[in-house]
Amino acid sequence: MSKSKIQESKNRKIKVLVSKVGLDGHERGAKVVCNLLKEAGMEVVYLGLYQMPKDVIDAAIDEDADVIGPSFLSGEHLVYTPLIVEEMKKAGLDDVLLVVGGVIPPEDIPTLKKMGVDEVFSAGSLTERIVTYIRNNVRR
Amino acid sequence: MKVAEKVEPVIKENEVDWDKCLAAYYEKPKSSLTWSGLDVKEVYTPEDLPPEKYKDVGDPGQYPFTRGIHRNMFRGRYWTRREVIGMGSPQDTHDRSKVLVDEGGSGLNTIADVPYEMGLDADHPWAENEVGLTGVCITNMYDMETMTADIPLDKVSWSLITASTVAAVTMAQYAAVAKKRGYDLKKLRGTVQNDPVHFRYCGFRPACPLDLSVKMGADVMEFCTKEMPLWYYTTINLYDLREQGVTAPQEVAFGFLIARLYIDEMIHRGHKVDDFAQRFAFYVSCHIDIFEEVSKIRAARRIWAKLMKEHYGTQKLSSQQFRFAVHTAGCSLVPQQPLNNIVRIAYQALAAVLGGVQSLHCCSYDEPVCLPTENGHTQALRTQQILAYETGVTNVADPLGGSYYIEKLTDKLEKEIYKVMEEVENMGGMAEAIRSEWLDRIFEKEALSRQKELDNRDKILVGVNMFTTEQETTTPLGVQRIAKASVKKQIEMVKKLKKERNQTLWKEKILALKAAAERRENVITYMIEATEAGATTGEMMGAVRLAFGYPYDPIEIIEAPF
Repeated sequence: MSKSKIQESKNRKIKVLVSKVGLDGHERGAKVVCNLLKEAGMEVVYLGLYQMPKDVIDAAIDEDADVIGPSFLSGEHLVYTPLIVEEMKKAGLDDVLLVVGGVIPPEDIPTLKKMGVDEVFSAGSLTERIVTYIRNNVRR
Repeated sequence: MKVAEKVEPVIKENEVDWDKCLAAYYEKPKSSLTWSGLDVKEVYTPEDLPPEKYKDVGDPGQYPFTRGIHRNMFRGRYWTRREVIGMGSPQDTHDRSKVLVDEGGSGLNTIADVPYEMGLDADHPWAENEVGLTGVCITNMYDMETMTADIPLDKVSWSLITASTVAAVTMAQYAAVAKKRGYDLKKLRGTVQNDPVHFRYCGFRPACPLDLSVKMGADVMEFCTKEMPLWYYTTINLYDLREQGVTAPQEVAFGFLIARLYIDEMIHRGHKVDDFAQRFAFYVSCHIDIFEEVSKIRAARRIWAKLMKEHYGTQKLSSQQFRFAVHTAGCSLVPQQPLNNIVRIAYQALAAVLGGVQSLHCCSYDEPVCLPTENGHTQALRTQQILAYETGVTNVADPLGGSYYIEKLTDKLEKEIYKVMEEVENMGGMAEAIRSEWLDRIFEKEALSRQKELDNRDKILVGVNMFTTEQETTTPLGVQRIAKASVKKQIEMVKKLKKERNQTLWKEKILALKAAAERRENVITYMIEATEAGATTGEMMGAVRLAFGYPYDPIEIIEAPF
């Protein structure tokens, strides 16, 4: 990263892109997280329902997002996460944080992390934990 | 006597924070508000329940049914113990259904998956990855035959959970299979959820445009009134509304206002309310505040009775009875310390039964982790059975009736429900609240408040904001996975069916359905015939959608094949 880019990233807000993926329509949690991250001073873009992995990554590039947060509540996390990671790699987004939220069996958390997910926030996560994690781990 | 060997204590005295123990000893509850934020007094006395008040309460089985719709309640019959089942292929769902009946379940309850509710066939490019993940996908008559195979449809009460506009297809598929197997439709018992209006708030907006939702909902009601008189043709879903994060009064108010959209449509079509209202049923949430939930149910019964009598002028008592199933609150469960969920569910089930429930689904403890495992499912059924057979709650109708507190809280809930209903009516009614997205904004606002209550510890959730422990790495009874092979086989079968069916007959029937929808006729009979001719869920919904000016495919990536 160039010096000027580092300076720029220090001054601007952390930008988070939240999205649902596939057909899963449970968006109560995703919307709540969006609102809370905004209140915590981050810039948030919510893509909404019915997005495919490529849509999410295209939007992340357009928006120059620092964090990508897909939300899965229908057991589809193991289907779509590898596709999202693949799209991120193709686009060279290795400095973008990938955090997954939703209904995720604890057994799948190591699997998701092995795929390339930085952190998983299951149902019942308090806001502070999510905000602190993002602030401490954002890579740009 | 042998003296026990001295064992070193695992936790040494000086490792425990005894001040914390002392503080806990004197600790008082931080809040005395109900879950929905209603203020309640320290104690209730006879002053809160003057004798003349009882007229408005009434005995169980007596108008306005505050105390229940039957005088003898569970002495007449236990509530139906049915657990929601839907996973993998129709065969997988069929197999799990049998397991639960074998374990003592008294009714079947199958739920559609996301592609099916959206009206997509299993071989739709967007469906292929998601078939069977959250329910069962019935694409055609063959799938329905597989799910219902060798189950005596005249001996079971089957609750078919398809809520969206696709409920019409589900009803047609079930009726087609029942007819083929020689059953008299007039004798079949069961329920189809059929509440498309509410389902737009569950992520199915493309499948549930408002006009089509009212049309399809009413078509099913009209068809069943005539052809399947023992069938409950709708279960107005208050539960899903509550799961958005709203309060108990909002849950009932919004649900009733949605119910009125269908009733008004049926009246508009020329039906008398007394001819169809007795087959209305409701799906209610039971959250964790036991007394508030019981009072909510009692208030709902009274409001519904009055609405049906005073507003709609019904004469029959059966038209004024609020019949309901309870689904314990999925959103109250958390993956942290998951076994605690069993206790939460048990309290919620107790509230349902104290409220006089007709049919109950207990969530399984693993609900916030995955679909229920077989053990999780059976355990949830056991929670119901312990309640039914061990605790004595079935002895007396409305055991909390006459409690100074419960009667007062019932009044309070009633007032709050009316307040919300009036607010919506003043803005032009429910259709307007939906169109203007007022309801969307309410849901978003309330959901945010619920999370803040947890963040700020205004509400306590054990394992989340109090008594927390390290994150679990495993789920106690394992994780339910969907068998990819059986789903793949199902998708292959759909493709095969589409190639091998009698194309001429199929086309004739699907075009007849489309033409009927264009003429704004009731489409259910046409859907039964199209199903028999091999038409699929996506095709039938697509035909009706086209007739109403909507894209064939709600996801808008495939074209109509006709």
